[in-house]
Amino acid sequence: MTEGTLYGLCSAVLVGLGLFGLIMHPEPLRKILAFNLVGGGVFLLFGVVARKGAAAGLGGDPVPQALVITGLVVAFAATALAVALLARLFQETGRATLQADE
Amino acid sequence: MPGSATAGGFLLVLAIVLPVAGAMLSLVLGGRYAERIALTVMPTGVVVAVAIGAIVWRTHNVLQYFVGKWDPPLGVAFRADGLSATMIVTAALLICGIGLFARAQFSLPRCVEERAPLVFWILLLTVWGALNAVFIGCDLFNLYVALELLTFAAVPLVSLDGRAETLTAALRYLLFALFGSILYLLGAVLLYGAYGTLDMVLLSGRIRAEPAAWAAISLMTSGLLAKAALYPLHLWLPPAHAGAPSPASAVLSGLVVKAPFFLVVRLWFDVMPRLPEHAVAQVLGGLGAAAIIFGSLVALRQVRLKLLIAYSTVAQIGYLFLMFPLAVKPEPGHPWSTAAWTGGVLQAISHAFAKAAMFMAAGLIAEALGHDRIAGLAGVGRVLPITVFAFALGGLSLMGLPPSGGFVAKAMLLTAAVAAGQWWWAVVVLTGGLLAGGYVFLVIARSLADAGEPLSLISTISPGRQVVVLVLALCAVLLGFVPLRPLELLQIGRPDMAIGGVR
Amino acid sequence: MLSACVSRRVRDRIPSLLALAPVPALVAALLSPAGTTLVLPEPPFRMTLVLDVRGAMLLGVGALLWIVAGAYASSHLRSDPNAGRFAEWWLLTLAGNLGVFIAADLVSFYLTFSVVSLAAWGLIAHDGTPGSRRAGVIYVALAVLSEAFLLIAFVFMAEATPNGSLLIRDAVAALPLSPWRDASLVLLILGFGLKIGFVPGMLSAFYGVVVGITQQNPKTVLAYSSVSQMGLLSAALGMGLASGDIGAALGASFSAAHHVLVKGGLFLAIGVCATAVRRLWPVVIPAAVLALGLGGLPLTGGMLAKLAAKAQLGDGVVGIFATLSSVGSTLLMLHFLYRLAQTAPEDPAKGAPTTLVRPWLVMAVAAVAVPWILYPTIESGSLLAAVGRTTLWAALWPALIGGVLAVGLWRWRDRMPRVPEGDIVVVGERAMRATICWSEAIERADDYLQQWPVASLLLLTFVITLGTVMLARG
Repeated sequence: MTEGTLYGLCSAVLVGLGLFGLIMHPEPLRKILAFNLVGGGVFLLFGVVARKGAAAGLGGDPVPQALVITGLVVAFAATALAVALLARLFQETGRATLQADE
Repeated sequence: MPGSATAGGFLLVLAIVLPVAGAMLSLVLGGRYAERIALTVMPTGVVVAVAIGAIVWRTHNVLQYFVGKWDPPLGVAFRADGLSATMIVTAALLICGIGLFARAQFSLPRCVEERAPLVFWILLLTVWGALNAVFIGCDLFNLYVALELLTFAAVPLVSLDGRAETLTAALRYLLFALFGSILYLLGAVLLYGAYGTLDMVLLSGRIRAEPAAWAAISLMTSGLLAKAALYPLHLWLPPAHAGAPSPASAVLSGLVVKAPFFLVVRLWFDVMPRLPEHAVAQVLGGLGAAAIIFGSLVALRQVRLKLLIAYSTVAQIGYLFLMFPLAVKPEPGHPWSTAAWTGGVLQAISHAFAKAAMFMAAGLIAEALGHDRIAGLAGVGRVLPITVFAFALGGLSLMGLPPSGGFVAKAMLLTAAVAAGQWWWAVVVLTGGLLAGGYVFLVIARSLADAGEPLSLISTISPGRQVVVLVLALCAVLLGFVPLRPLELLQIGRPDMAIGGVR
Repeated sequence: MLSACVSRRVRDRIPSLLALAPVPALVAALLSPAGTTLVLPEPPFRMTLVLDVRGAMLLGVGALLWIVAGAYASSHLRSDPNAGRFAEWWLLTLAGNLGVFIAADLVSFYLTFSVVSLAAWGLIAHDGTPGSRRAGVIYVALAVLSEAFLLIAFVFMAEATPNGSLLIRDAVAALPLSPWRDASLVLLILGFGLKIGFVPGMLSAFYGVVVGITQQNPKTVLAYSSVSQMGLLSAALGMGLASGDIGAALGASFSAAHHVLVKGGLFLAIGVCATAVRRLWPVVIPAAVLALGLGGLPLTGGMLAKLAAKAQLGDGVVGIFATLSSVGSTLLMLHFLYRLAQTAPEDPAKGAPTTLVRPWLVMAVAAVAVPWILYPTIESGSLLAAVGRTTLWAALWPALIGGVLAVGLWRWRDRMPRVPEGDIVVVGERAMRATICWSEAIERADDYLQQWPVASLLLLTFVITLGTVMLARG
């Protein structure tokens, strides 16, 4: 099994785990963590793609690497915003759950 | 990739940079200046938007700009065709109107919560910049970043008043939107892996009908559907749009929710026009039909006015997706597809104006009465006549009665459905109009009824704000004077759509 | 001429001037030469208005009725606190109504039709009582439903026209050749029918009579009589439309115009009677002439209207039905007169205000005289033939039979079953209750869908479904 396939499978596992967590866990904090898992899986996939595009003396295609870096920043911002909202919600209600109303 | 930057392409950059610069400046200078900066940026932004539209219309060509003078796939391109130009102008006008309306609510020192005005103006400008980025982006990853920026700016708008319910709604919105966007990103990775580029124009040349493309398209479309709250993925929309302050609801329902739809359109019509996806288009249309019917039915049962309007948004988004089975054609050149295209876009624009007006009217009513229960609306018609009239005008567009943009949009969709022989969409459109008539009538009849005792108002509403609402509603009505024909402006940059055929 | 259909929208309250608003329309109808067309350029307005003979007839008659009713309403409203708002709805309905008569392209027609429908709600529900509120709701529901039908019918018709013109003239001419002819006709009839409140065709002609004779309230009797008349009218029009004959419209307009005058007059009579007259007879006798005219009594305008309709319906089975319907109409009208006399309180001391009586008399005279004036303009007959002996006898015998039947009805009046007013609506209300149960279920389903695990699982399902569909088709 080539390393590309190995990492590809890894990323698939990550995505799967993350999706499971995102769907099934009711607590928002776990959903945020699960989202990061999925994000990790996607970035790993980017890495696999970069490796496949290696050419002209470069270890890997630079474009996906740039995309991964941008993606990391976006995911970080997303996590920060979500955690801030969660923290404020906890401050207001003393609970951290999404089923507070309705 | 044909051509290079066309004249006036820098306007595209301005369209994004101006609002974002305004937002950053506000952040630096602090609360007192935020509103003033916003009010300066808005007219300038409108001028830029109209200039873009004028250039596209006059040259009948796409406006392009390459950032840093680098060509794709390495560089980043901005493209504005007819569709983009129309959406940019709509966004500019709407944001201006919302800004004028929000002055009374979000200017220091009148506001109780001190940070709210600063945050509001910054977020409004950021939303605007992100919207423009979505409308003119040409690279799938750029569009991802723009979409995320839009979401991050829109989510805090929901919880501006800091109550627990709105915080919950905002968190739910954020998490579901992130779910959608990560699926989108996954699809983008697959596309890059298969075809080596994420630029839309280059991709359209390279994409082929194979499993990688299908997986990517289904991932990206589903992710965007989740962000657009297409039924049954609409769980986040009603509490978010109903809980936000009314100018924020106006921007959320009017513009923010249209951006993912815009991207699905771009994906389907620009990236993969050669892939015949008629069956999937029917699925999308079916979901749209479900949205219309179920959304309207649930709206009829609502007790609170803002929730009713939010569910109405769920329903009206369904109309947008009816465009797909009618405009995606098995072979090119079917005349009704242009009618469907025009209908769908007009629906997006007129709904934006109408819904913004309705949310703002509901906000004024809630401010005046202290609550927004529909059962308690009796007598409002006498106290706030302009507001109720504006609400009725917005409702006219939702119902699809002439003269209004909604009527033209629905007539075009009906024509396309009839001409294509897919009469079931016509039934759905008509039923939707009936149901919309139901819930609009519910509100209007209540407002015009006589209250038993004279109404006690919590606060007085200045006529100026009511007039702003009225103007926006009138825009929705004015769109009704567009000729009942496929719109030439929307065809610019779309060589595969033949004008003519359907009248 | 555009000013003729856009009456002044007065912000301040001047209900007393209501009668003046339609006067320009009347003048236009009388004086404009036939075939004047006004085309508003596109953009932005794109409307075409036309005033041909048929339109002029309806416009003039309609304007007359509105003027008279306006005078009547002004005095009636003097005591009403909501007079100003009533006046606004009134003017809006007037504008739409007159606009309908002169609209020449499908979109303007739809626009003015919508204006009429929606503004009339204001008139119905204006006094705010629960009864009128309920009536208003039912009315709007039916109106919006009918508009939906009309819209799709118009889309069909527009699709069928050869060069994409939206003029009604072209659309009707193209109708027989269109592939959707049957569907268009059905939808048109459904749409207009819901608005007027009837089941299409000859069916309603008899239905109206049968239910009408069981009613007690004279207003309801008149309403059912309208149902029956509209049935006759639509049968004539339908047969004309199906053959693409424009002349059919003219004859139908004539009948419609006569009907407008008579019904307007009779409703005003009800109003006059309700306010107590010194003596009944000055009111009842002209009313009788008008009413029996609906049954085709000789020498009244009604006979002329029936002749005009006959030309369309021919002499076959349908023609026989038409004659039978004259019998029924006479019967119904005599019943109406009886109920009218019954409901008026006989109070020698009070007299009806002259401001109410005067419009009523004007209307009565007009209803009798105007049809005779207009008759030569339609193609299907000459004045001389109308007063010929055979025609007179043909008109007389159905009326006589109706009279005989009415006597019988009077004898048996206590044994008549009571049919509740608004029959179809009762069915509609039961349907509404069923829908409400459904929508509760839907709301519960929606709450279920809004749970996070459900929605997110659905999202994943979409991904898989979309991919599989593409896989299968690719």
